[in-house]
Formats: sequence, structure tokens, C-alpha cells
Amino acid sequence: MARKLPLADVKVLDFMWVLAGPGITRSMADYGATIVRIESAGRIDPVRTVGPFKGNNPGLEYSGLYANNNAGKLALSLDLSKPGAREVVFDLVRWADVVCEAFSPKAMRAWGFDYESLRAIKPDLVMLSTCLMGQTGPLARFAGFGNLAAALCGFYNLVGWPDRTPSGPYSAYTDYIAPRFGLVALMAALIHRKRTGQGQYIDQAQAESAMQFLTIPILDCAANGTVYSPVANYDPSHAPHGVYPAAGDDRWIAIACATDAHWQALCAVMKRPDLAADKRYATFAARDARRLELDAAVAQWTMQFDPHASERALQAAGVPAHTVQESADLAADPQLAHRDHFVKVTQSVAGATAVENSRYKMSGTPARVDRAGPALGEDNHHVLHDLLGYSDDRISELVAAEALG
Amino acid sequence: MLDGCRVIDLTTERGLLCGQLLGDLGADVIKIEPPGGSPVRAQGPFFAGASAADRSICWWAYNRNKRGITLNLETDEGRGLLRRLAARADFLLESDNPGELARRGLGYGDLAADNPALVYVSITPFGQDGPKATYADSDLIIMAAGGVLILYGDEDRAPIRMSVPQAYLHACCDAAGAALIAYYGRLDSGLGQHLDVAAQESVGLAAQSTPLAAVIGGDDTRRMAGGAKMGPIRVPLVWAARDGLVSSVVLFGPALGVFTRKLVNFIHAAGFCDDATRDKDWIAYGNLLLTGVEPLTAYDRVKEQIANFFAHHTKAELFAIAREHNLLIAPLATIGEVLDNPQFAAREYWRHVEHPELPRALTYPGPFAQMSATPIGYRRRPPRVGEHNREVYLGELGLSEGEITALARKGII
Repeated sequence: MARKLPLADVKVLDFMWVLAGPGITRSMADYGATIVRIESAGRIDPVRTVGPFKGNNPGLEYSGLYANNNAGKLALSLDLSKPGAREVVFDLVRWADVVCEAFSPKAMRAWGFDYESLRAIKPDLVMLSTCLMGQTGPLARFAGFGNLAAALCGFYNLVGWPDRTPSGPYSAYTDYIAPRFGLVALMAALIHRKRTGQGQYIDQAQAESAMQFLTIPILDCAANGTVYSPVANYDPSHAPHGVYPAAGDDRWIAIACATDAHWQALCAVMKRPDLAADKRYATFAARDARRLELDAAVAQWTMQFDPHASERALQAAGVPAHTVQESADLAADPQLAHRDHFVKVTQSVAGATAVENSRYKMSGTPARVDRAGPALGEDNHHVLHDLLGYSDDRISELVAAEALG
Repeated sequence: MLDGCRVIDLTTERGLLCGQLLGDLGADVIKIEPPGGSPVRAQGPFFAGASAADRSICWWAYNRNKRGITLNLETDEGRGLLRRLAARADFLLESDNPGELARRGLGYGDLAADNPALVYVSITPFGQDGPKATYADSDLIIMAAGGVLILYGDEDRAPIRMSVPQAYLHACCDAAGAALIAYYGRLDSGLGQHLDVAAQESVGLAAQSTPLAAVIGGDDTRRMAGGAKMGPIRVPLVWAARDGLVSSVVLFGPALGVFTRKLVNFIHAAGFCDDATRDKDWIAYGNLLLTGVEPLTAYDRVKEQIANFFAHHTKAELFAIAREHNLLIAPLATIGEVLDNPQFAAREYWRHVEHPELPRALTYPGPFAQMSATPIGYRRRPPRVGEHNREVYLGELGLSEGEITALARKGII
């Protein structure tokens, strides 16, 4: 018999938007939590305007990014400036175990939804605030997107070619780190609450979470004064190590040789016994000193072939190698297919589409991913009627007051 | 929070952060190393450049809040001791290639037979099974496979990775989150389970849903130095200030266009752009570009004017302007500048951890979140080799002095 999903009893009131916050509750929805997501028509979630879009239609209900990041959640549209809307929020706070928000620090206070106010009506509440720089300090009010936190944390100065200005990580890098830490903090608080009955407030600065990924350069700088700069694909313990051209337009294959055995196997696959026997490349130290020569020899071979074919040949020989995958490769990746990575779901306006599955497998309680991110206000009636027990009359009053907009 | 929880940490270099997170949250994490110590201890960078034991920054980075013991799992006796430890544990973390521990009788099935409540977490490159489960890997390989690498670098050169390895850090965070979700369920069901974390899937989050493009029929995204190509639109994220670089977002649409409007209004008032740029419809602008109503060359002209504004100001001036006028601009900090940022000092973020083997305390990045009722503490510096052998084997497994001596002699601990 299937086990109950681990978070089946957890109820979350979710005021988050963009990427770093909603990523937390997406993971909770996968494992059974009920997430009620508040959005207002006058202040829509910016990711609704960011692609990839279903069928390349840039409409607000066609964003695959939004659908993916909010899969499995319920949508309640609420205009907090209208009569009755705040009372709905307070009822949801009583209903919820967790309140999450990702606004700038002053916004929740202005609405009277800060932790102290909400705790007064729900003493064991777990509340998480997530923002770029944290709720306190001189930059507390510095709001924006994850690219800005990534810049302030030093990530931009770690991606690039030594002879050029840094190119930086893709888009909003801290937004892909922070939700994982936010989930860990929130789950720990829920475990603590279940054991002791005590709620608490979590102040997540996305920059502070993300810097866990920079511990080595930070320790090296603090201890030794070393300041890292970008080194493209150089790696001190692999040679050859790089991204090599393949046949086709902008096609590439990554190859990383850590050991002599990898190097010998690479030479065998490339049918280069001359290189395999060459004493100038026999040891790691020797290969490390002659990287440019090696890179040229490897590229001369890789550029003749489709990267998938080279990948299969190299992996069959035990060499770490992989096609640099673009989205069409991922769609056809047999490993991702084996893990059901892309899940077919329906987006209520855009129709049949797909989202990504949970990024891990649980043997006893597999993730439930059966719903794309909801359309604006899609679940208003369900939330108000079924979860809060509002009468149809009361719901009609809210509609008349334009509170559900 | 996790007080009283016992974690057995068998992870290799791939998985060290996962156990550290559970340790940060109060769990008793026992890091198990082979006799002589983990190979990670031999990896640089090293404190003061000395490649000696107990000086590896690589080891220190992800092993705080753990106790350390040695145990040789290549021996029957060593495996027996591990099974005794796992029988009393709440979590077991491992990051060997699929099947490695099962081959030694330490797979999930083996250990769950004695302890059905065990949450057994496996972190691997591609997952426990499937056509690529046995693929050889590295940080670069995972980033390539996960759809992240294609988004990084300059478009006229090969894709590049971040210069500090990141792939398994993403996987470790996912592993910790999964472990806690499973543990939360266990509080009711009493049942553990096997968690299978694949780094390839974990890193995919950093591709910001671009992996979905082909599946849902959307435009693919390609790398561009200091920005991204979204379909035909080239969106810069890095701009040159007078004395260095800043990051800024100049985007469009009903949510993001508002910020661009604020920015061009400011630039206009400062005399760096014309009325035509100020008065563009930033809400509809993306659609205008995609439908050809606004030519891409007109957008290039807008970007030139914005670039000219940035080029005439220093990083500090631009950051001050951003803070005063709620604009989306931040300087690109070096790691040294990060350490000097007054924001982190004001929040007492940095933790100065005493190492008895070092002449001075080491500065670590602080807690990943501030928790009001159960603050994250840095209770233990990273352990030295076998530092807690006696404590664990003698005190907790109840071995005798004689047994410990014999185990040490046989190279088991």
C-alpha cells in the first residue's frame, strides 16, 4: 500500500513570487503539502513574463518557468487594498502551519502581516521571510533579483576567461541556491514544531545562503589573502579538462581526465597511440604543463563527430565525458527519461504542457507532480469554500468588493 | 531542532555539505573516514600554502559540526561496526557510485533490515540506475549533462563553468532537504526510506527552466557574455561602470518593465538618454521586439544610452543611486570585497572558528538562515583524523580498551 506523502498534513500560506521563494514551496508541494499561493492581478508574478513559453506564446499563462516553479500549488487572487481581503489572509494564517513571504522587508509590516502580528493569532506559526540581503542591516531594503545578490556575493567574478571581463553565471544564480537552503531551514523548523509545539521566525538572506557555495574561496581569502579570479575551464586536478568543439552548429563535448588511466583511455578512443606513448604526457604533472597542446589534439578529434557519439565512446572506455546539453538534448536524454524527469501536465489556459519532476527520488513516498502552476485565481472557490469554509454568500461579497482580483 | 538525531556520514568529496547542513541544525553527525583520513584532506588549497595534514581548506569547508571517526569498510569487522552504528542512526548519507555500498553489504536493503526507520540518502552523478548510472563524472561533466554549461560563457568561445566547483553543492542541498522531508514523514509513519539524489537533475535548477524549452515548444536560450540571449533578444546583465563592472537588469513586461521605466526616467533626468528612450512602452516592449514592431536595432540604441550612463559613474555611485531610487544595480564584488561588505558585518554573519592547530581563528561563512527559536550554532570545528574514535567506540558502542587497541592494530580504525 502506498504510504501517505510525508508533508500531507502541512499547510502553507505562500506570499512568495519570482524564483528564490517559490522554489521552496514547489518542493513541499511535490511531497504532499497544501500550498495556497497569493497573487494579485495588479501585481503579477514577474516570472509569468519570462520564458520558455508554451508554444512560444509570451502570454501571462504560458510561461513554462512559472508553471514549473509553481507546480502543485493552489492559486488565490487577492487585492489587499480591497475590503475583506485582509480578513481572508488572517483566516488563512489560522488555517496554515507555515507562512512564507519573499517581499522586501518593509512590505509585510506595512500590511500588518509581520511575524509578531501573525503570531498573535497563530502562536505556533512557522514563518519564513526570504529576501536578497536579509531583514536587518544597511542593505536590508536593497531589493531586486538574484543576479544582484550573485554580484554582491562574488559569483560574477568567478565565471569568465582570464583575458576578458567576467561573463558571470547565467541569470539569477542565487535564486537556484537559496530555495534549497530555505527548504532545509523550513523543514527543520517544522520538525522542531512537531516535536515541541514551538513555532519560529526564519530570516533568510539569499546572499548568506548562497555563500555556502563559496566557502572554499572565502576561507582561502580570509586565511591566505588569495583572491580568486575566473579561470575559464582550467582545473588544477584534471588535464586535459575542457569543453571541446563537436560537429554541428555550437555543439560541444566536455571531457575531464583525472587519472593516467583516463588519459590512456582517451588516447585509445581517439586512436592516438602516439600520444599514449609520448613521455611528454605520461604523468599528470607533464599533462598539466602542456594543456594547450593537449587541448588542440583533443579538439582535432572531437570536432569530427557528433558529441553524443563521442560521449558514448569515451564513457564506454571509462573517460568522464558528456555532451554539453541544450534543451533538445535534455528532452531526448535517456537517463532523464528513465527518471521521468519531464512530467506531462495541463496548464489550465495553455493546455497540455510539461514541468520538471522532483529532483530526487524517494523509495517509499514518490513525489506527486500532476498539476502545472495555477492560473491567476484558479483556485479561489476551492480555497475559500473548501479550505476556509466560507459560504457562497461571503464569497460573493468578496467578489463584489473586487477583493479577489 | 535535530537534537538527538544521529547521522552517519559516509560521503566522499561529493557529499560533504549534506551532513554539515544537518549538523548545523543540531544533529549529531559522525563523519566516517578510512584509517589515515579522507582523501579530501590531501586536497588544496591549504592554510598558509602548506600541503600538510590538517591544513586542507577543502576539508574544513564542509565538515564543521561533525565528529570524526576512522573505520575501514574493506574489512568484515569494519563493516560489522558500521552496521552497529547504522542500527542506531536516523540518517545515513553516502555518495559512492551506485551499488558500491551494496556490494559491501551496506546497501539500503541491508541496513534497513535492522533499522526500518533509517533515512538512507544516496548522492550520485546520475542516480541509482538507468543508462547513465555508471557514467564517469566530474563537476564539469555534471554541469554539461544538466543543461547549465551551455548557458555559461562568451558566445564566440566554448561554454565555461564557474571557476569554483558547484555541481555537488547543489546536489547536497537537495539531499539535505529530501532527508528532512523524509524524516518529517517518519515522525508519523515510523518508516525510513531510500533517497536517490542525482546531481544531473539537481544542477538543472540553475538552468532556470530552460531545459523545458524543447519539450514545450519554446525558444532555446544561449550563452552570451554578461547576459543571456532569449530567443532573438540579447539581454545584458553586466555593464561597465567607470571603475569596474556592475550587474543590472533592463527587462520588459508588466512586472519587470516597471524597473526599466524607473531606470530610464532617472537616466533621462541625469541627461544620458533622449525622450524617445524614456517614453518607450517598457511594459509591452518585449512583445514589440518579438513581433518586429520595434526593430532590434532600436533596442540596441537604448542599450547604448544606458551603457553610456553606467560608463560615466563609478560602481559606488551607481550602487548609491540604486539604493536611493530603488533601481536594480549592484557592483560585481571580488571575494575580498565580499568579506568587507558592511551588510554582512552588521548581521554578524562571519563566524570566527578557533582551530587549536592554527595560530589564529578562521573566518567561515555564517549560518545559511537566521532562526529565531533554534539558532544555527557553529558548535564544532571540522574534526581531525580519528578525533572522536574513543568517544564513539568506547563511550557509545561500548567497546573495551583492549578491543580498540586490537582494531587499531588490525588497521580497522
